[in-house]
Amino acid sequence: MADKWNITLRVYRQKENEAPHFDDFKMEVNPHEYVLDAVERAWAFHDRSICFRHACHHSTCGACGMRVNGVEKLTCITLIRDVTHDGAALKVEPLRNFQVVSDLAVDMTPFYRKMEAVEARAVLPVTEAEIETPPSSWDADDALHLRLSDCIECGLCISACPVAATTPEYLGPAPLAAAQDQGLKRKPELLSVVDCEDGVWRCHSAFECTAVCPSFVDPGRRIMNLRTQVVGMRLRKLFGKA
Amino acid sequence: MHNTRNQPSARRFLSWFNPIGRQTGSWAFILNRITALGLTLYLFLHLIILGRLAQGPHAYDSFLLLTENPFIKLGELAVVAAAILHGLNGIRIVLTSFGVGVTRQKQLFYGFMAIAAVTILFFATRMYMG
Amino acid sequence: MSKPHVIIVGAGFTGVATAHDLALRGCDVTVVERGDLCNGTSGRTHGLLHSGGRYSVKDQESAIECIDENIILRRIVPQVIEPNGGLFLALNESDLAYAEQFIDSCQECHIPLEELKPSQVLKMEPNINPKVLVAFLIPDGTFDPLRLALAFAGTAKHNGAKFRTFTEVQSLLLDGNGNVTGIKVLNRASCQTEELRADVVINAAGAWSGQIAAMAGLDAPVKPTPGIMVAYEQRFVQRALNRLNVPGDGDIILPQRRMVVVGTSSYEAENVDYIPVTDDQVKLMLDRGSELIPGIRSVKPRGIYMAARPLVGGGSGRSMARTFKCYDHKDSHNVDGLVTITGGKATTLRAMAEKTADVACAKLGITTLCVTKETPLLSYRQYYMIPN
Repeated sequence: MADKWNITLRVYRQKENEAPHFDDFKMEVNPHEYVLDAVERAWAFHDRSICFRHACHHSTCGACGMRVNGVEKLTCITLIRDVTHDGAALKVEPLRNFQVVSDLAVDMTPFYRKMEAVEARAVLPVTEAEIETPPSSWDADDALHLRLSDCIECGLCISACPVAATTPEYLGPAPLAAAQDQGLKRKPELLSVVDCEDGVWRCHSAFECTAVCPSFVDPGRRIMNLRTQVVGMRLRKLFGKA
Repeated sequence: MHNTRNQPSARRFLSWFNPIGRQTGSWAFILNRITALGLTLYLFLHLIILGRLAQGPHAYDSFLLLTENPFIKLGELAVVAAAILHGLNGIRIVLTSFGVGVTRQKQLFYGFMAIAAVTILFFATRMYMG
Repeated sequence: MSKPHVIIVGAGFTGVATAHDLALRGCDVTVVERGDLCNGTSGRTHGLLHSGGRYSVKDQESAIECIDENIILRRIVPQVIEPNGGLFLALNESDLAYAEQFIDSCQECHIPLEELKPSQVLKMEPNINPKVLVAFLIPDGTFDPLRLALAFAGTAKHNGAKFRTFTEVQSLLLDGNGNVTGIKVLNRASCQTEELRADVVINAAGAWSGQIAAMAGLDAPVKPTPGIMVAYEQRFVQRALNRLNVPGDGDIILPQRRMVVVGTSSYEAENVDYIPVTDDQVKLMLDRGSELIPGIRSVKPRGIYMAARPLVGGGSGRSMARTFKCYDHKDSHNVDGLVTITGGKATTLRAMAEKTADVACAKLGITTLCVTKETPLLSYRQYYMIPN
């Protein structure tokens, strides 16, 4: 386990009123560590001016999303050995479709605003969670138990989405998935939020969100299901059964 | 946050077509964008050509001779190909929108593209050999 | 008409909770943080909402603090908590021998406790070690570390507090007598420095509070004590698990989203900016954790990380008290204008903030009482939605 790799960490740098560029840090890393560890190391031992966001280091807070070699990753769970090799480079850039605060840190405000607009659930009953191996039957107590939702609001899906790149008004994968999670039957007031130009119909089925989601949310599938729900609601309205 | 990173720019527009780091779904998306732009452009050309009808049969006939030019023929094939690709991709999106094949959307895309390739080949042979 | 200005250094749990408390008491609050919220110890905390059971035998003061705060947090910030209870599991004779003390001390600390037979507990949690001899159900819980902090910070913002992230303290501003009158900061996004004046500066830098105190030539008795946590990629249980014994390494497992997190270890470290993970500690977590949930051996780790507890001096490692200390440096070193808060744990963040705010308010002549026990927190997303 204790092998050492020499890699070149290429870090996207951008300070206020300065042109963006990359800084290279030649460093020795343990390939079994995570990309976030390499970035933290670069900050601790090479350049104290690097800004990046991170908190939980185990994929529950969603703060450390970056583009690693061009692909959106939650850096705290991305092993160095899976994205580069000994003697090679490792490029880290901030998420796309967000304002850069500094270097690798982006401003999540518009995204959190949209999550709030769809009243995304932070906790939900365990019996409603889509876990891979649910127990054969939930006992009576389980209905009372809550768990934190799968979506960790990391913004990777927004960064990967080709439609989000075209307009900042688009609600985006995670907020639409959060609306689907609650269901339009349970929350009919969400219909007007998602059934609009910048809502569920803007998606172009690229499924990049599902490809990069680190948290099993599968926003692509949920958006498609939300469309079915919206059509169902509209039909019911048309026939006066709303 | 005074930076130009998220301002509209040609570079940002080009990034719509950047496939680096992306997977199948984005290829489909990029293909759809390019074919859509191509078909829109063609629509305007088409209207201009139709306008020639108003200038009498002679102008129109001499224009029609141009279609024997191999480059124009290639362009016509491109229009046919774009229409097929865009149409089939559209059907794919309609299907997934109604929950059909969502979990197998990549295979669905490859399937439709295979159909597109066969159809384009069919039209190509008809145009060049028929 | 100016409100007293308080600067809080550090936007970890203590910093954000103190900002919330002081904003409610009518102070003009500015929080400075060198990274983003919770980038140090707080973000990497295990996420156990303690019922106090873990400390009931050895450290009753901490245990009572925990159960009181546990009940308050469930009430004021339910949006970030999995309130599913916790189980203390006995797996061998030594664990069974501990049970009697455990029951008595939980009762003394008013921690509600229910004894479960193996058949009962295995029905509730089928993935735990089937060799379980006896189990106790207590009101532990799990919280999302970042969102707990965001909820406090968002509510503080709603009440007027300002947050300046990516802003690093370079030095403390001192008057001729060595008293603290403000801070000099570097905005790491714009690379500009700035002097900020304050009536009181609160040093809530946790494991780094020694470095801040040193800027005034003072000594803060904080001992950074890192511990490891390993997250495994399957949610085996719905409740927090504890080994029914004297607190030790790798004896807590928490459910967290689709994972379980095994923790932790304890040793002392000097530089805590970057703490390397060692293989022997990972193995220790697997060995000890698999005693509680054998299934973790068959899944992969998803994240492995270290966090440095800011324990207060005296004793070492596990024997160090988990309570907190708040120092007015006027009393301890005759340096006015600086208050240091250190020690404690996530579960008691509100109580730590109350104590710190009490000390700051006494210095500022503010007589308003603390109301954070009764004030529900806003959605954690408000932190982003309210402009600074």
